[in-house]
Amino acid sequence: MPHDEGLVGIFSYVDDLLKALERLKQAGYRIENVYTPLHLPEVEDILGKKPSVVRLITLLGGICGGLSTVGLAVYAHLSFSLITSGKPVLPWVPWVIVCFEGTILGAVLSSMVAWVVKGGMPRLRSVPGYDPAFSQDRFGILVACTGSEQEQVRTLLTEAGAGEVRHAAW
Amino acid sequence: MAELQFHEVDKEVLKTLRPGGRTYWISVILLFLGAFYGYFVVWPYQILTGLGSAGYRPPVMWGAYLVNFVFWIGIGHAGTLISAILFLFRARFRTSISRSAEAMTIFAVFIASLFPIIHLGRPWVFYWIIPYPNERFLWPDFESPLIFDFLAVSTYFTASLLFWFTGLVPDFATLRARTTGFRKKIYGFFSLSWSGTDRQWHHYGMSYLLLAALCTPLVISVHSVVSWDFALAIIPGYHSTIFPPYFVAGAIHSGLAMVLTLLVPLRWIFHFESIISMDTLEKVAKTAVLMAMAVGYAYVVEPFIAWYSGNVFERQTFLFRMVGYYSPLFWVMCFCNVIAPAFFFIKKIRTTPLLLFVIGILINIGMWLERFVIICGSMARDYLPYAWGNYWPNWVDWSITFGSFCLFFLLFLLFIKFLPAIAITEVKAEVTPPVRPKEEPYAA
Repeated sequence: MPHDEGLVGIFSYVDDLLKALERLKQAGYRIENVYTPLHLPEVEDILGKKPSVVRLITLLGGICGGLSTVGLAVYAHLSFSLITSGKPVLPWVPWVIVCFEGTILGAVLSSMVAWVVKGGMPRLRSVPGYDPAFSQDRFGILVACTGSEQEQVRTLLTEAGAGEVRHAAW
Repeated sequence: MAELQFHEVDKEVLKTLRPGGRTYWISVILLFLGAFYGYFVVWPYQILTGLGSAGYRPPVMWGAYLVNFVFWIGIGHAGTLISAILFLFRARFRTSISRSAEAMTIFAVFIASLFPIIHLGRPWVFYWIIPYPNERFLWPDFESPLIFDFLAVSTYFTASLLFWFTGLVPDFATLRARTTGFRKKIYGFFSLSWSGTDRQWHHYGMSYLLLAALCTPLVISVHSVVSWDFALAIIPGYHSTIFPPYFVAGAIHSGLAMVLTLLVPLRWIFHFESIISMDTLEKVAKTAVLMAMAVGYAYVVEPFIAWYSGNVFERQTFLFRMVGYYSPLFWVMCFCNVIAPAFFFIKKIRTTPLLLFVIGILINIGMWLERFVIICGSMARDYLPYAWGNYWPNWVDWSITFGSFCLFFLLFLLFIKFLPAIAITEVKAEVTPPVRPKEEPYAA
């Protein structure tokens, strides 16, 4: 059943956060978000994240970029009405450089767009349960839970070391 | 960085964002006036009077502007080396200097990209180099190294900018949390509403790694492509296969020197000794020694190739370089680029900030002279003695060169006052993470 409310546990220590995550995972609660001021690969391991789709999008962007610039070079050469004698009509070897630059440009642009969009950004309102301290030196877990579960989740978060537990709705 | 606590990182790094004092703003105004003079007074004068006013006449048609173009592109390389390549190698010492080095890259490449336009007789039609269907039925030649250059520099600038911005996004969120009013709104806008969720970090981490991997070949390719602007011409002194590695080594050499030139004062002014450690600066100095040896090797091999080839034109070009009109510049260049960095072999010298700064400046001077000797010196002695002629920058060249240096330092000064000069998130990842002390009991 989809939830529209939950509890946010705010932690000061990384080990407490990881411990709470493991307990919540074992208890079968739905973890909506984990907020950290730095990248913690351990969080991804506990949550069992699949490899990011950004890899595939970057690869496709690179292929499209390379093909596009070579396509542009082919189009430009075939459109050029002045005959350049002694030169191949479509000089593939020098276009390796053109293709390389296009590949990098396409891959970079698609990678940037991919992480922004897949990260749910940009958005006008902040993510439910977000606290500005999560961008400084605090860690947080947003757990989706209904009224009957909230007391158990609150106890679990507090026992794991949460300094504060708040209600959040979305 | 070991003694810095996790909760102190924001406060320590954001010291640079405190309102600037009188010295800071006077420096900003003076640099602004210098840049204004170069780009808005002298350049319009040159446009009105033609390139002849900058001393361009046969045989030397590529002068100070192309020297500056190659110099500034080169400066950018160390930024990408430090931010991307050392990230892939997991070199931890890069953390404290990567953000500033990346900023240096972006400003340098931006300034470099202006010089080919300044070098045009009719700069307002520079867009003709962009391939698009037009009523003139003209297309740029995709076999030309000049088009390679346009593609390489624009790709490099875009990739560096996006890589830099990606690294900044979580830091913008930190700034958003720590500021109020108008600044909060500006930082909030650029943070793209970043909240640091597991989902965001997951995709962000992968993208940052891929961007670093994509920027890595650019370090090698961009200056190789720039070197082909020269190497594909048949002018003696240009037409050499050694140019790509030689230019890349020189680019990294000058970039590392600029890193020292910028970061030693930054460290001293903002008391960043706990973040930018002496060990970091020492490692930069050691890399500069390696680059000095690579560049020195090229200085020796180039004349050898000229002699071994048996080509009389190549031989006379290198003889002219060593004993001719530009020979004082050549020997100063050899001293600055090879002999001066060799002093970094002495530990006492490479661990003294003032000496690091002085030698950094000497290398920068040497690298500018190197480009001058190669570009102008080779053109000055072509095949026909009848066509020989010497070139020396006049006040127009010097003014625009001066303006470019003012613009670079102006942008860097504005950067350190309005953006975090040190990557907050990366420093947080390097310091000891906050772990519950044994003596602190759980609330429950």
